[in-house]
Amino acid sequence: MSSADDNKVTLTIDGREVTVPRGMTVLEAAKSIGIEIPTFCWHPKLKPVGACRMCYVEIEKMPKLAVSCATEAMPGMVVHTDSDLVKQGRRAVLEFILLNHPLDCPTCDKGGECDLQDLTFAHGIDDSQFDFNKYRFIRDKKSTFDDYRLGPEIIRNQNRCILCYKCVRSNKEVFGEYDLGAFQRGNITEIDTGPGQQVDSIYSGNLVEICPVGALTNTDWRYNIRVWKTQKVNSICQYCADGCNLTLWKDRQKIYRATSRRNDAIDEGWICNRGRYGYQIANAEGRLTVPLIKRGERQENATWDEAIELIARRFKEIKDKKGGVCIGGLAYPGLDSASLYAFSKLFRTILNSNNVDFRIDYKMLPEEPGDLYTQITSRKFSIAGIENSDVVLVIGSNLINEHPITNLRVRKVVTQKGAKLYTLNPFATKSGDISTDEIIYRAGTVEALINGLCVSIVEQKLASDTVDASKLATRVEPNTVAQAAKISGVEADRIVGLAQALGEAKHITLITGELLSTSITRDAITAAIMNLALLCGMAENGQIGFLSKYANSKGAEKLGVMPLLSDSLIAEMKTLWGGYPEQKGLGADRMILSAKKEEIDALFVMGSDPMLCYPDGQFVREGIEKLDFLVVADLFETRTTQMADVVLPLSSIAEMSGDFVNLEGTVQHFDQAIKPLGQSMPGYDICNKIASALKEPLFESVARMQPDIMRLLLREENPEIQRELREVKTSVEQASGEYTVPLFVVDQAHHFAHLTERSKSLSAFCSEAHLELSPSMAEKLHAETGTLIRVESEVGKVILPVIISEHIDNDVAVVTRNFSANPVNDLQMRKQRVDYVRLTRVEEK
Amino acid sequence: MILNETSVAEIKEKMVRYPRRKSAILPALTVAYHQVGHLNDDIYDEIASIIDIPAVEIAEAATFYTMFPKHPVGKYLIQVCHNISCALLGADSLVHYLEEKLGIKKGETTPDNVFTLITVECLGSCASAPMMQINDQYYEFLTREKVDAILDELRKQA
Amino acid sequence: MEKKVLFTYIDDPAQVKVETYVGHGGYTAWQKALKQMKPADVIDEVKKSGLRGRGGAGFPAGLKWSFVPKDSPKPRYLICNADESEPGTCKDRVLMEHDPHGVIEGMAIASYAIGSHLCFIYIRGEFGGPIRCMEQAVKEAYAKGYLGKNVFGTGYDLDMIVHTGGGAYICGEETALLNSLEGERGMSRIRPPFPAIEGLYACPTVVNNVETLASVPHIINNGAEWYTSMGTEKSAGTKIFSLSGHVNKPGNYELELGTPLSYLINDLGGGIKDGLKLKAVIPGGSSTPFLLPDQLDTKLDYESIAAAGSMLGSGGVIVLHEKTCIVWVIERLIHFYRHESCGKCTPCREGTGWLEQLISRIERGEGKPGDLEKIESICDNILGRTVCPLGDAAVMPIQSALKLFRDEWQYHIDNKRCLVKSEFAFA
Ligand SMILES: Cc1cc2nc3c(=O)[nH]c(=O)nc-3n(C[C@H](O)[C@H](O)[C@H](O)COP(=O)(O)O)c2cc1C
Ligand code: SF4
Ligand code: FES
Repeated sequence: MSSADDNKVTLTIDGREVTVPRGMTVLEAAKSIGIEIPTFCWHPKLKPVGACRMCYVEIEKMPKLAVSCATEAMPGMVVHTDSDLVKQGRRAVLEFILLNHPLDCPTCDKGGECDLQDLTFAHGIDDSQFDFNKYRFIRDKKSTFDDYRLGPEIIRNQNRCILCYKCVRSNKEVFGEYDLGAFQRGNITEIDTGPGQQVDSIYSGNLVEICPVGALTNTDWRYNIRVWKTQKVNSICQYCADGCNLTLWKDRQKIYRATSRRNDAIDEGWICNRGRYGYQIANAEGRLTVPLIKRGERQENATWDEAIELIARRFKEIKDKKGGVCIGGLAYPGLDSASLYAFSKLFRTILNSNNVDFRIDYKMLPEEPGDLYTQITSRKFSIAGIENSDVVLVIGSNLINEHPITNLRVRKVVTQKGAKLYTLNPFATKSGDISTDEIIYRAGTVEALINGLCVSIVEQKLASDTVDASKLATRVEPNTVAQAAKISGVEADRIVGLAQALGEAKHITLITGELLSTSITRDAITAAIMNLALLCGMAENGQIGFLSKYANSKGAEKLGVMPLLSDSLIAEMKTLWGGYPEQKGLGADRMILSAKKEEIDALFVMGSDPMLCYPDGQFVREGIEKLDFLVVADLFETRTTQMADVVLPLSSIAEMSGDFVNLEGTVQHFDQAIKPLGQSMPGYDICNKIASALKEPLFESVARMQPDIMRLLLREENPEIQRELREVKTSVEQASGEYTVPLFVVDQAHHFAHLTERSKSLSAFCSEAHLELSPSMAEKLHAETGTLIRVESEVGKVILPVIISEHIDNDVAVVTRNFSANPVNDLQMRKQRVDYVRLTRVEEK
Repeated sequence: MILNETSVAEIKEKMVRYPRRKSAILPALTVAYHQVGHLNDDIYDEIASIIDIPAVEIAEAATFYTMFPKHPVGKYLIQVCHNISCALLGADSLVHYLEEKLGIKKGETTPDNVFTLITVECLGSCASAPMMQINDQYYEFLTREKVDAILDELRKQA
Repeated sequence: MEKKVLFTYIDDPAQVKVETYVGHGGYTAWQKALKQMKPADVIDEVKKSGLRGRGGAGFPAGLKWSFVPKDSPKPRYLICNADESEPGTCKDRVLMEHDPHGVIEGMAIASYAIGSHLCFIYIRGEFGGPIRCMEQAVKEAYAKGYLGKNVFGTGYDLDMIVHTGGGAYICGEETALLNSLEGERGMSRIRPPFPAIEGLYACPTVVNNVETLASVPHIINNGAEWYTSMGTEKSAGTKIFSLSGHVNKPGNYELELGTPLSYLINDLGGGIKDGLKLKAVIPGGSSTPFLLPDQLDTKLDYESIAAAGSMLGSGGVIVLHEKTCIVWVIERLIHFYRHESCGKCTPCREGTGWLEQLISRIERGEGKPGDLEKIESICDNILGRTVCPLGDAAVMPIQSALKLFRDEWQYHIDNKRCLVKSEFAFA
């Protein structure tokens, strides 16, 4: 027998021969030939526990019924999945489960999609021999239900629970969350939160989805609609670049919920709460439904014709007077590809301007084309590929918040496959729970730390021989481990230890996140990281992921929604459009600066809220105030729409079909769920209307434009990695004067950018900005959870309530930015590498 | 803090012996139970921070095991075995006798908080039936005279 | 016949002291194993001795040890199962309380045989006395160098932890015990993987009963042949029987396997209490089927009891006299099994609850026609269908009681009262 055959087994199931990989269970083997075996406690992504006993099969020569979910397929097995004995066994299990299960299907929100209900029907059980009163768990002694709230959105009804333990198992095994447990034992076992806890992690909604019965339901779906009245629509999540696949459940013009549409390459069937509840923005109150035009001090309702006519007229005036260079465009990278493409095309072919950008929250963007960061980020990355690694290195990312589902893959490779995780961050994050070493560097010193790692790898003679490591010492500064340790505040032996782990690793996944991408030294950091990658041989054995943030950041990049494009991309545009503006374009930061200097007169903002998101609120305000003409398209009134001359109602993602490119570079299509709300329009239609009014349409139909878009999206630049070590000399910026606490402005776990505050369910988790502090920092300020703290920087001031973080343990101020009531970007300085703040308690009167 | 220094030290000492910290949950619960006489959420939280295991896991384990009362009990927890071997030799009448003597029903605590009376499953003392356990002391081959003497003695100590 | 091997010094209160134990020849077997035998020799000797597990299932001990992979890079663990919670069983406690070093020595030898350097004794938490005894004895054994680093200068290290439970019968079941020892809820695990391959902390692990392990030093000292000279061909050696219930002299008695049940009950136990007639005997702990008075000459060995329709189990012999209501007995037992079901698998969790409800209503005189058939069908749906044998343990006595005493059950339902009322006063 060849060794290939050793890895396969052949068995017979219901008279059919099937060959499957060794190690597969009988259940999966049956599945592979289309034989469905009923289950309750089995889940494809969880370890089998064999608890419910629903999946019985009869295996010849075995004395008892076997649970197929936990029985390995063996050569020569003869399995029967449908014998009388099997049927009898399953019926008995169902009867047992139903003993104390309420007969409340008509009012149970799982009705119509309940595994128990379905299997009960399938097995023709209509009558129980049980003639006792059903056992009842009642939390609230006043009601006969057990409607007990486990967290902001989950309601438990213990009486319906069949104790499959999938909720508790997935919560711990997959999500690494420890807020839910099984208590007591035997037939009074109860699923509940841990002592004094609530279930409120960003993965909590999955617990409802995984529950096979109506024991766990969520507040958005409860009592609102029956599942059979809804239709399913394929969608993609818009709240980060992971690109989880969703199903939207709608009836007529309303969406009722979102669930996972399992894609093993990306999400493995899990979604975070942003994906699950973010759909609510489509039907949320306060949507803009008609265009508004500013007349005097007030924005008044207008028709589309009026609005477009005004925009066209003003753009034309400005263009004719000073040229297209005086018009700029900022587009939200969470828009669909067609809208982003149309936006860029509008600027470049009609307005003759290269002033377009999607990087709405990056500090001080590069002004030359081909910056290293952009080059490197265009490399391919694979979420599933993380599973091949024996070492995962996360630098500058609060991964669980930025990429909740990629985070699960990292968790999986670490907790299930034994890989080592190292996290390098300016403050501790939840990933520290499972990291071999969680390294906290002094804010603004990551390049020095990475240089130190490089030096140590070389010193330990662990450098890959594909690179000339001898040059390192002259190219980097600091160039000793001791100096790097001193600057970064990380002990030298930890640097050496990590360097050793990296040097010895067989396959590394390196992930960087927002804390790097939005830094003004992102190019230097990138260079340092590329040195590290070269020295560890990551290009050959590993993958480097500079993870992009927004649902379509990657698409925006590929479609060229940036001022400065590579020559090859410009050539591509020229062939598509027959022309391309000569003038060098300005990035977001420059546009605002130029507006301030009155060099830019008009701005078209599509879908983003720079007044809330762009670092340095004061700076943005001053720029925007100087504009002659501001057009903003968005779903809701925002700080930016308030300042606009024309406000255009934008359709949500649910109201159109389109595609996003996730952080891996995978193009994913989503379908339209409902009609555009009111008079709102997708971004591409808005751009097309403006183009038509100015000169000529951008496209006849979106479908016609699609091939051009796909051509750009599928283009692979994947630039060769330069084999030379790069120069990385770092200087250290010190905190000055009274402002000494490093500030980090980040997204709240349950929120994303400026949109999710409109989701009711997500707001139930958190609805205002906070200041997150380490316990020791809080103590210094005599602050407890909820204490109001004045956060002041050189340029701004906000007052925020405190949250004491479970993770953070150094003196930093982490502030969340998703709430229009709290423009925390006011605290940031666009030119400063690290923002520093001063914290003082607001004394109650 | 509910757990005193001795208990904390004892838990820490036990914890390090195991290849994995989590194994120290039952020993820690036992230490806490011996000190406090019962367990509750606050104790789970304290143990969680001592052995660095999420509190939910402590609580899940603790509620699985029935030996630890989850509510305050009297100074003396009288546990009468009512399983088969003891029952054959009069465990039920022993319970009644105790109920009468203490003036409480099974499951209750005397108003002076000295005695709590409960029934439990087999305590592994079948050949010395009937028997009861008071705190962690076994009393076997019980007769009325013995029970009287035991209760008198404990009352004196209370 | 009564034969004291494990019980040789059981009446000597000083036996708990290491000095006395050593004076009685203790720890010589440990020394012999470590210095003169290879682990494989130890396993061989135990295999040849025919020693079978005394925890209930009667699995050959040497064979179990030989399942531990020889080439696994993982640590291995030995666990002594001292959870002793099966109603009617109270023998391990006696060993721990009166001869703790015998248990330690057995654990040490078994650890060496499987290559374990860390072993555990899992004692039920209620056993305050035995726990203190074992802790003290372990301390003494360390002090004397029988445990710890470099035992007897052989370079072999062995650590031993006394671990205590929290009141859960299920934790006597070996996989539940492993979970419990890992700090999890004491729920049973599916097999495979078997503990010998993936047990504690997913490492190869052997779980043996106290009495099994305590027998090992005697076998190493005296040889397999000596051991097989006692007992029967397939049930070698001696075994402790816990005699309880309606007998005049309850207690723990060590017998050669193959001794007739009547000898235990009548000769050692002094016959039935109050001069009454025997009704039935549960021979192997509460989960084994009943034997009837006409089966009194059944020999107490694994095969003979099995042939008589029951099981030797843990050796907990519970005697019921004629004034015992069988429904009342079963109600006690099913209450126990319902209370102790871990709640993992459906048939056991739900089935035991349903059975308890049905049986107690019959006992209360509220039984309905058809209840017996219902009970039988529930039992059928539990037997052999659960994750661990607790389900079987719960239903076997019920099935047996229904088969042997059906009339009495029927009487209960028809007349709404007991045929014989169990009213047992304590003295
Ligand atoms: C529900 C249940 C309870 C058990 N309780 C005990 C026990 O208390 N002590 C024991 O030694 N074995 C007990 N066993 C048997 C163990 O699972 C295991 O077979 C035994 O400890 C192996 O040791 P041995 O081979 O030396 O008998 C129990 C089994 C079951 C199914
Ligand atoms: S709540 Fe649902 S998922 Fe959790 S154990 Fe019960 S039935 Fe299973
Ligand atoms: S699916 Fe196999 S036991 Fe539950």
